[in-house]
Amino acid sequence: MSEKVAVSLKINGKEVTLLAAPEQNLLRLLRENGYVEVKCGCEEGDCGTCTVLLDGLSVKSCVTPACACEGREVWTAAGVSRQERIGRLLRDNFAKYGASQCGFCTPGMMVTGVNYLMNNGVPDRQAIRAAISGNLCRCTGYKKIIDAIYHTAQELRRETAGEGML
Amino acid sequence: MIKKGTGMACMFYPNGSTGKANPAGAFIKINHDGTAVLNIGATDIGQGSNTCMAQIAAQEMGLKLSQVRVVTGDTELTPYDAGTGACRVTYIAGNAVQKTARKAKRLLLDAAARKMGLIHSGQLVIEEGEIFLRYWPAKRMTIAEAATYSERILGQPIIAVDSYSPATMPLEEESGQGMPFEVSIYATQIAEVEVDTDTGEVKVTKLVAVHDCGKMLNPMLVEGQIEGGVVTGIGYGLYEQIIEDPVEGGIRNPSLATYQIPTSLDVPEDMVIDCVEIPEEKGPYGAKGVSEPTCNPTAPAIINAIYNATGVRIRDLPATREKVLFALRELERKEEG
Repeated sequence: MSEKVAVSLKINGKEVTLLAAPEQNLLRLLRENGYVEVKCGCEEGDCGTCTVLLDGLSVKSCVTPACACEGREVWTAAGVSRQERIGRLLRDNFAKYGASQCGFCTPGMMVTGVNYLMNNGVPDRQAIRAAISGNLCRCTGYKKIIDAIYHTAQELRRETAGEGML
Repeated sequence: MIKKGTGMACMFYPNGSTGKANPAGAFIKINHDGTAVLNIGATDIGQGSNTCMAQIAAQEMGLKLSQVRVVTGDTELTPYDAGTGACRVTYIAGNAVQKTARKAKRLLLDAAARKMGLIHSGQLVIEEGEIFLRYWPAKRMTIAEAATYSERILGQPIIAVDSYSPATMPLEEESGQGMPFEVSIYATQIAEVEVDTDTGEVKVTKLVAVHDCGKMLNPMLVEGQIEGGVVTGIGYGLYEQIIEDPVEGGIRNPSLATYQIPTSLDVPEDMVIDCVEIPEEKGPYGAKGVSEPTCNPTAPAIINAIYNATGVRIRDLPATREKVLFALRELERKEEG
């Protein structure tokens, strides 16, 4: 393996400098440094369980070179699910609507869900289905995941409407 | 042209094979703080069996669900179990847990009776973590007190061990008769599809799945299992196939990009899940199981729906676009004579 290089980035709001091999992907870098909530599924960009937010965009960390993340901001499932208000609400709704069964797709679904709510955020089942279509799930049948995101979107919308911001 | 059709499939699925021993074991200890630890060999692979087993134990011992901790997935700590599969955990491991919990409860009530100065524990009831006399509820104590008394005064920590295996009954070789399984699970699924006759694409627009899994111990888990199974069944019916290389050997599509499983966009908008709860007297609290049968009738229902829509009968799964299109062309040729 080639010599490691230092990569400075912000993970879940904290500045860190990690050592990465030039060919290493972001997924391996995160997992090696204790961010094991980022799961490794197929490692070829198909399944989406390794999804993280990179500068606000959801990306599959297995096909993102670690060295390309210098100076950028990464949020993992654990980070976003602790965030007020979207992350926590979505996390609670995942539990409430039974959106997690074996749980392997859950970290990726959480990140993709938060990304949807951050950007579009419309309680529209068809749009949610399209948004999570890059994340595979084998055991829930997607319905309860869509339910959780949908209800979170609805609750957030109701809150904003209540504050007169719409 | 888009053609619509509806198809149905019914099934029964056996649970608890009796051909050879098929056991599940359980240990329970009740601690002096009134909590219980349940060790079971049956592993939760995401279907939620730990929750379900804790529910059975809590219900049987009169504890709150939060007072039961489940230890599983480590053969160093847990008793033998034949494995998580074939729908057997709720039924077989559930029965083992119920039997064990009943034993633990008996020990607990005996200790409580001794503490209360009763000769017999027959009139004692446990509810929500407290033990009381049926017709004199003021005479009561907590499970913690009874367990502590049993441990510290009677010198008998509350531990119970039991197991369950369906009565073995090998098939009679000459007549082929016997009872291969203890119980059966029943289900019917109905699929509504749209077939694009120009491309051969099949889209499942609605799916109704009605299952008889006995009494539902946890409706949300049952629903989740059925939804997941149905979507897996759609995969079997329409997308998933392993392509072998006939020359070089090996598998040509060994990745999730080439072996396609349903995504959120392939799931029918309208999925109706229901259960006919017919309690099974041999099951724990009337439960049987739900898991595997959920994906069995889906593909046949879809294939029947394709037949209903277009008149072509696909006999080789999955019903990919190519297969459907080829069958449609062949049907056209036949009709033209």
